[in-house]
Amino acid sequence: MKRNWTRKLIGGLSFTSAMFVFQACYGTPQDFGLDILVEGQVKSKVTGLPIKGIKVSVEENMQYDFTNDEGKFSFYTEPVNSLKIKFEDVDLDQHGTFVNKDTIPAVTDKKVYLNIVMDSK
Amino acid sequence: MNQVIRKHIFRRFKKAETKVHELNYLFWECTTRCNLSCLHCGSDCSKDNANKDMPLTDFLSALDTLKSKSENFIVVLSGGEPLLRNDIEICGREIRSRGVRWSMVTNGYLYNEQKHISLLNAGLGALTISLDGLENTHNWLRNKNDSFSKVDRAIGLAASSSRLNFDVVTCVNSRNWHELPALYDYLILKNVKAWRLFTIVPIGRAKDNQELFLTDLQFKELMDFISEKRKLKVLDVKFSCEGYVGSYESKVRDQAFFCRAGINIGSVLIDGSISACPNIDRSFSQGNIYQDNFAEVWETKYQAFRDRSWTKRGQCAGCADYTDCRGNGLHNWHENKENVLICHNEKIERATKCNLHI
Repeated sequence: MKRNWTRKLIGGLSFTSAMFVFQACYGTPQDFGLDILVEGQVKSKVTGLPIKGIKVSVEENMQYDFTNDEGKFSFYTEPVNSLKIKFEDVDLDQHGTFVNKDTIPAVTDKKVYLNIVMDSK
Repeated sequence: MNQVIRKHIFRRFKKAETKVHELNYLFWECTTRCNLSCLHCGSDCSKDNANKDMPLTDFLSALDTLKSKSENFIVVLSGGEPLLRNDIEICGREIRSRGVRWSMVTNGYLYNEQKHISLLNAGLGALTISLDGLENTHNWLRNKNDSFSKVDRAIGLAASSSRLNFDVVTCVNSRNWHELPALYDYLILKNVKAWRLFTIVPIGRAKDNQELFLTDLQFKELMDFISEKRKLKVLDVKFSCEGYVGSYESKVRDQAFFCRAGINIGSVLIDGSISACPNIDRSFSQGNIYQDNFAEVWETKYQAFRDRSWTKRGQCAGCADYTDCRGNGLHNWHENKENVLICHNEKIERATKCNLHI
C-alpha cells in the first residue's frame, strides 16, 4: 500500500497526466470503459417453457443476441440512461409466435438478470 | 530547468515502477496462425503454422495463478490473427467472468458486423487495427489484394462504437511515409480518434527487405509530422513506445519513453513460454506455464527486464542519453544481444547533422 502511494506521488510530480495509462508497443489501448452484463431467460406465458430464437437487443445500439435452447441470453453493453431492452420474435412461427416486448431494467450493479415472459399471439 | 527536474523525477518514477513491477498488461499469444502473409511480419506467421492454438483452459490455468490483480489489469489477445480462433468470444467471456478486462489486436480482415457485435457481446473493451497505407500500399504490405477494403470496413465498425477504446496502428516504411498526410485525413473522415505510428524492426520476415525501413531523414520527418499533428489536437496521433527519441520525447507521445516489458507487461506465448511483449526475442523467456507457476515467475524472475544495466554495451556503452533510454525498447535486442538493433535517437541525430550540412 505504502509503495503504491509513493509511486503515485512521484508519478504526479512528474507532471504527466498519462503516467499510469500506457499501452505496450504492439498492444491495444487500455479499457477504461464502463459496461454491464445483461443476462436472463425468456419463457412462454402459456406453457412456461423456455423460448428459443428470441432476438434480444438494446434500443439505439447495434448489439443483439438470440435466446438459446434454454431461452437464455447474455451480453455486455454500455450502461446508458434508461437502458431499453427489446425482445422480438423474428423467426416467424419456428418456435411459436409471440408478442414483442420491451423492458427498462433498473441497473444498480454491473449486471442485471431479466426473467421475461412473452405472450403468445 | 523545468525539463531537468521533470527528467529527474521521471527517472525516480521508473525506478519505483520497476521495484513494484505490478502486472497491468498480459499478452496472450492465442494463435500464430494468420490469414495474411505480411511482408513486415516479425513473427513470420503463416496459414499453416506449426504451432497449434493454445487451448483456452491452459491459458486460464496460468491466469488463475494470479491471486490479486491490479486495478487496470487487462488481457490482450494477440497472434497471428486472433479472429482465426472459432472460440474467440468464449475466450473473452471466460476472461471477463474472472473480473478481468480483455482487448485484441487484429488485422481486421475478418472483422465484419456480425463479428463486431459478437465481440462486444463478449465484453471486448479495447481494440487495435492495423492499417499500413492507402489502398495499393496497404495491399502490397499485407500481401493481399482485398485487405484494404476489409480493414476499411473494420475501422468503420470499430469507430462507430462508443464502448470500444480503439486505435489504428500504422507501420511506417519507405513506401507509405509520403502517404501519411492522406492517411491522417482518411482516419478523420472515418471518425477514428487515435492513431499510433511505428517503424519496422529488422526481424522475422522484414529482416532482408530494405524497402521496409526509413532513412534517417525520413525518420526525422516522421517525428516532425507527428509533432505537428499533435499540436492540432484533432486526432490523437502518437509515436509508439518502441524507442527513445531524444529531443522529440515530449513532442510525439503523452509520456516520456519507458519500456515496461517485464515491469508491467507480461505474456503467455503460443508454446506456453512466459515472457513480455510478443515481439521480444524468445530467448528472454522466463519459464513456461506447462512447468511453472505463472504468478511465481512474474514475482521472482524477469531479472533481465528489471535490471537493464546489461544493455550498456555495444553502441549504448558510451551513450550520453543512456540514463533516459536504458538500451531502447527491449525488442531491439536479438540473437547474441551484443548491440541494440535500432537506435532511434541516433537516426534523429544523424538526420539533424545531415540537414545542417545541406
